[in-house]
Amino acid sequence: MRTEIISAKKNLPLFFSPALILIVLFVLFPVLQTIYISFFSSSGEFVGLDNYHDVLTSKEILNLGDVSQGLSQPYGLGALVHNMLWILIHLPLSMFSGLALAIILRDVKGASVVKSAIFLGMVTPMIVGGLILQFTFEEGVGIVNGFFNILGLEQLTRTWTAHPETALFAVIFGSVWLWTGFSLIVYSAGLATIPREYYEAAKIDGATPFRTFFRITFPLLKPMTLVVITMTLLWELKIFDIVWAAVGEGGGPGQASNVLALQMYVWAFRSFDFNRAAAVATILTALTLVVSVWMIRYMVKK
Amino acid sequence: MKMPTTMENVITVLVLIAIVTSAGSLWYGLTVADDVGTLTDSVATLVDQMGDLATSVASVATSVADLATATTADLAAIADDITAISDRVKEVEKEIGPTLTVIGPWSGAEMDAFLPVLAAFENKTGTKVSYRIYRAEDLAPILPAQFAAGQAPGDVIFMWNWFIQEKGEEGHILEVTGLIDEADFRPGVLDLVKVDNKLYGGAYTGKGKPGFWYRKSFFTANGLTVPTTWAEFLTLVDDIAAIPGIVNPILSGDGVGWPLSDITEHFIATYGGPQLHRDLTNGTVAWNSTQVETLFTDRIVPLLDGDFSDPKTWDTYIENWWNGSEYGLYFMGSWITGMVDDPTDLGVFSLPEAPGAEGVVFSADYFFVPAYTEHPKEALELFEFLASEEGQSHQVAEGGHIATNINVPLDAYPPGVDTDMAIAMTGKETLLDLDDTIGGEFQTTFWSQLQLLWVQPAQLDAVLDAIEAKAP
Repeated sequence: MRTEIISAKKNLPLFFSPALILIVLFVLFPVLQTIYISFFSSSGEFVGLDNYHDVLTSKEILNLGDVSQGLSQPYGLGALVHNMLWILIHLPLSMFSGLALAIILRDVKGASVVKSAIFLGMVTPMIVGGLILQFTFEEGVGIVNGFFNILGLEQLTRTWTAHPETALFAVIFGSVWLWTGFSLIVYSAGLATIPREYYEAAKIDGATPFRTFFRITFPLLKPMTLVVITMTLLWELKIFDIVWAAVGEGGGPGQASNVLALQMYVWAFRSFDFNRAAAVATILTALTLVVSVWMIRYMVKK
Repeated sequence: MKMPTTMENVITVLVLIAIVTSAGSLWYGLTVADDVGTLTDSVATLVDQMGDLATSVASVATSVADLATATTADLAAIADDITAISDRVKEVEKEIGPTLTVIGPWSGAEMDAFLPVLAAFENKTGTKVSYRIYRAEDLAPILPAQFAAGQAPGDVIFMWNWFIQEKGEEGHILEVTGLIDEADFRPGVLDLVKVDNKLYGGAYTGKGKPGFWYRKSFFTANGLTVPTTWAEFLTLVDDIAAIPGIVNPILSGDGVGWPLSDITEHFIATYGGPQLHRDLTNGTVAWNSTQVETLFTDRIVPLLDGDFSDPKTWDTYIENWWNGSEYGLYFMGSWITGMVDDPTDLGVFSLPEAPGAEGVVFSADYFFVPAYTEHPKEALELFEFLASEEGQSHQVAEGGHIATNINVPLDAYPPGVDTDMAIAMTGKETLLDLDDTIGGEFQTTFWSQLQLLWVQPAQLDAVLDAIEAKAP
């Protein structure tokens, strides 16, 4: 037995090597190369952190000069702040919408059909999703404006993606619809693992539904919440396709709905400034790494 | 009775033991003899089986040897066949020529209008051509990587002029200096694909952006007339606004922002003059200069307070303009003729009271032959054809296009708007599309900042500063 274990250990590198070679070639090397070129100018000269300085001081990335104007000024608040707004608005909305729907649909007959319908947003290609959003928020034909008209809120009727103060929010709110299916499915799976006895005991003890939720349901869904938060955060940080399709590669009116990944694309494939784009990519990687490490550490601790 | 002695007892026991031992030995001997017999039989069977196995192994070995011989023969035959097929392909290629791949941005009706041009080339030269659709925006991320690998997805590719200049300079594009006579083209149109007097691309047909389109029947029904002065233009806009049901007198297209840049360029070319248009393109006049700011303040901004609509993306709005239910005027390029069901009812007018020489913004489609084409001779033949009077005559006959080759006769155009456009452009100064010419990050910034200006005219100064920050 011991000999077999030693033999298997000796062969481990052999078993890992096919996947390892692919990862090194197609993941590790490009990542390292991207980080490497971010320290050089387009002429190949070593410039240290100059690209990072240029990126972080450019109005496209951070534009806090006249915050009072908000998104209505050229460049809006900058792509980095827009990404943060994505996280601040989109994350709680999509997470709690999914949780609420999962709880509501838990004991409903035929809930799987409703869940599937909601999950369709998740399986829709985000490019298509972006086009649907653009259509949804259009003044004359969009369902959102039709809804406002029915409610008598004509002052809100406009092409949301054409106005700087609403373009970013239109894409974020629309994405909540597309992304809620993810948290719904994760939370539904989590709810199925909570024993019924806990609820019966709480009922016998006279706990209110509110108390039951905060003392039983939500704490026991903590691992699911962590997964939802992590995956949503990563998605929001690297958000690109849906914005590109909904407001165009310019990032919307006055670049008011620009995001980091879209700016990276413009610098890489419009300006062919791969070094500055690499700096943005490295910043994005660092941000996503922080989130990923946080999650991995939590899971290891568990 | 005498009792046996101890000795007699011992002898008796020994005799009994001897008898029992002898009987046991005899029985055991008989049993072993059976086993030995069985064992002998088994060994004999085994020997027989080993003999059979040896025979089988020998048979298999023979079969394998036969198979190897046959396989070698088959492989040799297959290799011969492949060589023969390859030779035949080469012979066929020599006979009919290779199949060239052309990559262009046109799909749908526009592609249908382009394919007859390629068919004409096939008929003329016998070289087959296949067409693949890729917009310039989609090619931009692909081509640099392909070029770096020494490959190209097509033999003739339509792309932005500034991209052709950049990649031509880097050696990824075949130089075509002297292949076509530059005197055959509209003045300046080939400058956009030249670097240091080396030509890297060709100018195909293009589209003019002459001004505001209207439906003649709509004007007639509402008693409207084409304006000849700026004051009349403003009156016309007010008159259209007063028509019941009209939401905005002028429909603003959006796309990703380029229709707004076309409108802006028309204002610049008309009220700033062709020289200002050229200066802004070359970067010799600043966008936030007093001259440009005044032009925007006096001419464009006043119309952004409800005369122009918000930027609209979807084609459904063109329907609403065409049927006169919501909009009266629409600024668009000459390809509008292919977007309405009755082009003979289309009318167009430029902004009135142009100071100095008149200029019309013209946007040509540019193409090139990559250095990595496998068929350079045939690709260059196609290049020449697309730039020639013959090739462009085929294209303009399909409608919606204006030739860059000045030898294309007016009767090559379909009667109606296309001919009118060609006549209108004759003798006028051709201005090259400003943002297409500059390209790069400027273009996306220009588009998105104009989108902002259209809905927030009060941001004019900040918008001009933002555009200037990316200008050449």
